[in-house]
Amino acid sequence: MTGELILELAGIKTVLAAGDYQGLISFDVWTSLFTLCNLLIVIYFGKRFLFGPVKRMIDERQKEIDGMYEDAGKSKEDAAKLKEEYEVKLQKAEEESEELMRRTVRNARLKEEEILKAAREEATATIKRADAQIAMERRQALNDIKNEVSGIAIEIAGAVLERDINEKEHEAMIDSFIEQLGEEDD
Amino acid sequence: MNIEINGPQIYVDIPITENFSFTITQTTVSSFVVMILLCTAFYFLGRNLTKRPGKLQVLTEKGVSMLYGLIDETMGKHNYKFAPYIGALFLSSFFGSIIGTTGFLRSATADLSTTATWAVVTIVIVWASNIKENGFFKWLKSFTEPIFVMTPMNIISEVATPASMAFRHFGNVAGGSVLTTLIYTALALLSNVLLSWIPNQFIASIPIFQVGIPAVFSLYFDFFSGAIQALVFSMLSMVYIGAANPPHDEEAK
Repeated sequence: MTGELILELAGIKTVLAAGDYQGLISFDVWTSLFTLCNLLIVIYFGKRFLFGPVKRMIDERQKEIDGMYEDAGKSKEDAAKLKEEYEVKLQKAEEESEELMRRTVRNARLKEEEILKAAREEATATIKRADAQIAMERRQALNDIKNEVSGIAIEIAGAVLERDINEKEHEAMIDSFIEQLGEEDD
Repeated sequence: MNIEINGPQIYVDIPITENFSFTITQTTVSSFVVMILLCTAFYFLGRNLTKRPGKLQVLTEKGVSMLYGLIDETMGKHNYKFAPYIGALFLSSFFGSIIGTTGFLRSATADLSTTATWAVVTIVIVWASNIKENGFFKWLKSFTEPIFVMTPMNIISEVATPASMAFRHFGNVAGGSVLTTLIYTALALLSNVLLSWIPNQFIASIPIFQVGIPAVFSLYFDFFSGAIQALVFSMLSMVYIGAANPPHDEEAK
């Protein structure tokens, strides 16, 4: 041994063998133990701080990306389905509105016809009534005039002749005369 | 000129009994430094992870994804629980190799104690998986298959697995450092010879070839070889552990 420095601390003899070497191909239990401990510590640290968290992060991200793609696909599908649904609904709505329109127009036409018919009937009835009234009034007026004229004629005749004549005979004669007059008027 | 090729230097030696003492060597220190560096790096890289990663997080995730991808390829998804072990093994091995380039620390993997420990851990995991899979007695019985005479062979092959792993890794790194030392010395000698015509003693003694040229070899023996050996070691671990943990029917893809 060369350059040996011996320290004695608390009864433990420590040799600082600065110049001493182990054999090139040698196995040392303490070195082995230290190496094992170091390896275990590195494994623990690696698992705790690096491989574990990083792997978890990668997996999480992967899962998130997969989820996003899945969601996107699903949304697209949903949108397509919705679109189809809406198109069908729109079609139906159009048909319905057309039908409604047609029905409304038909109803309106029917109503119009009804109203027109009623108006026409009423008008016809009014005219008929008016005609009847006119005819009646005319007849009455004629009668009145006839009576009056015959009265006047009798009076005139009575006054002219100043003699009593068969009133009844004359009346009939005058009536026929007036009727001839009326017929000539017509 | 003497060339000394030694194992790891012993820094502290506390005798416990006559033939047994507690030692702290260069390897212990290197291994400790690597552990501290890795743990610090893990802590800072794994902090503040966000769903929208920054540049550093992208790199970290790339590395972690590569690790898990490799495990998926060689062992299957059901063996993801071994990812921290494989990752720790690879990183400890790689940085344990290249830490030798710092100059004042010796490569931790240039010590058989280190690589043997890792190999033993791997083979213990393999055995434990086998026992868990088949039961203890079935595992013992598997040594006598296909015929009883094969038992010694099977035992040897079982022991040879970690031994070959340990020696391969150790040999590559240690051999690399030995070669580097030899080349370094040879270059000094070469420059000595080639500069001997210079009358000035001081200028003639400058080992001019030691500048730059060893860096090229260091690049190969330390970085390239270190990476390859780390990959080989973790790959073999993955293959052995994966073979001992076959996919179950319900887990199979």
